[in-house]
Amino acid sequence: MSEQTALAQKIAMLTAPDSIDQTGARLISVGRDPEPLTAILREVDDTVLERSLAFVCGDTTVTIVAAGRRLRGIASVTPAKDADIIGQVISRDDPDGVQAAFDLLQELCGTADRLTVRSLPPEPFGKGGERGISATGLTELWGVTMEVIPKPPMEKFLSTNATAFLSVLHIRDGKIVSTAGNFKALQTIWKSQVDTFRKAHAKMVRGEEKAQLVCFEGAFDDGSSAAMALYENEVVLVAYQAKQYGEIQSSWQRIFT
Amino acid sequence: MVVDELDALLEKFEGCTALAFADLSTKMILVTDSGSNLRREALDALCAEAAVLLSADGTPVLADKPSDMASVTSPSQLRVFLRAQQEPNDVLCCICSAELDADAFVADAGACLDRISGNE
Repeated sequence: MSEQTALAQKIAMLTAPDSIDQTGARLISVGRDPEPLTAILREVDDTVLERSLAFVCGDTTVTIVAAGRRLRGIASVTPAKDADIIGQVISRDDPDGVQAAFDLLQELCGTADRLTVRSLPPEPFGKGGERGISATGLTELWGVTMEVIPKPPMEKFLSTNATAFLSVLHIRDGKIVSTAGNFKALQTIWKSQVDTFRKAHAKMVRGEEKAQLVCFEGAFDDGSSAAMALYENEVVLVAYQAKQYGEIQSSWQRIFT
Repeated sequence: MVVDELDALLEKFEGCTALAFADLSTKMILVTDSGSNLRREALDALCAEAAVLLSADGTPVLADKPSDMASVTSPSQLRVFLRAQQEPNDVLCCICSAELDADAFVADAGACLDRISGNE
């Protein structure tokens, strides 16, 4: 990553509105966007004064100690986990320890759908001279990038709501680009109903908006709901449970407004 | 009074900007909230949109059956359309800002519509 790119990314991150969840923790990864380990390394890279960083995903809390943009080590894991690397300062002189730290973070947070962080006062950890490894160094040792490539809006919408959607049919320029779940019913909708609806609706609202989410509660015989998201040349059809409506709406607003 | 119910709902949700109670069989807006400044054409368009989304003719729009609640979200606006449980032609058309708490609003709007429809 060039210095200019790094600087641009840093400025973009600093100017972006923080996403704070209901517990007051800062949301740093949703739907693996960015990848949880990327998000963790970015937090380490932003930590100059010594701090404990408590990462929470699901019921798991991983507390690390970072200072001088370096990861010193993993201080604790809750619920308790039997791993020798916990409580140890990582060092380039101990490649097995570096790998163990990566394996543990990957195991606990690597597939997290939501990852939050709290910055806390530092805890006593290791000896004064043990500085750990820089976030930049860890990108090489762990093969994890700190670069965040923004996902296109529709892909971000799909990944953010991956657990809320029962099935997905994603179409771009008239061609299916991805599917999830039992999408046969969505394929039938795409073939027989979408065009008719879009024409009828566009006539009512004097043209179609560039980005639009249309939801129909309980539209399937099994009681599940249907939605169609439109953005430029993309159409996404999904089935979802009605109780997910609010979450889907708020994520759409976050991404497209 | 229908208008009082609409005004109360509008007052409760800051992001709600206009409410209209309509009859799908005649495709006419019957009552709006008291502060509504929507022009006749806008009201007609809103009612026509409700007729398409809630399927005035009973034909499924998307999927298997007509919905009792449909919504359209654009970058600037959320429009919600609800059908009364007891009287399928009674519908509530709602124009809101996109930042509205959609879940909470839909729950309250549904209850509001059922009270209006039941007391007609």
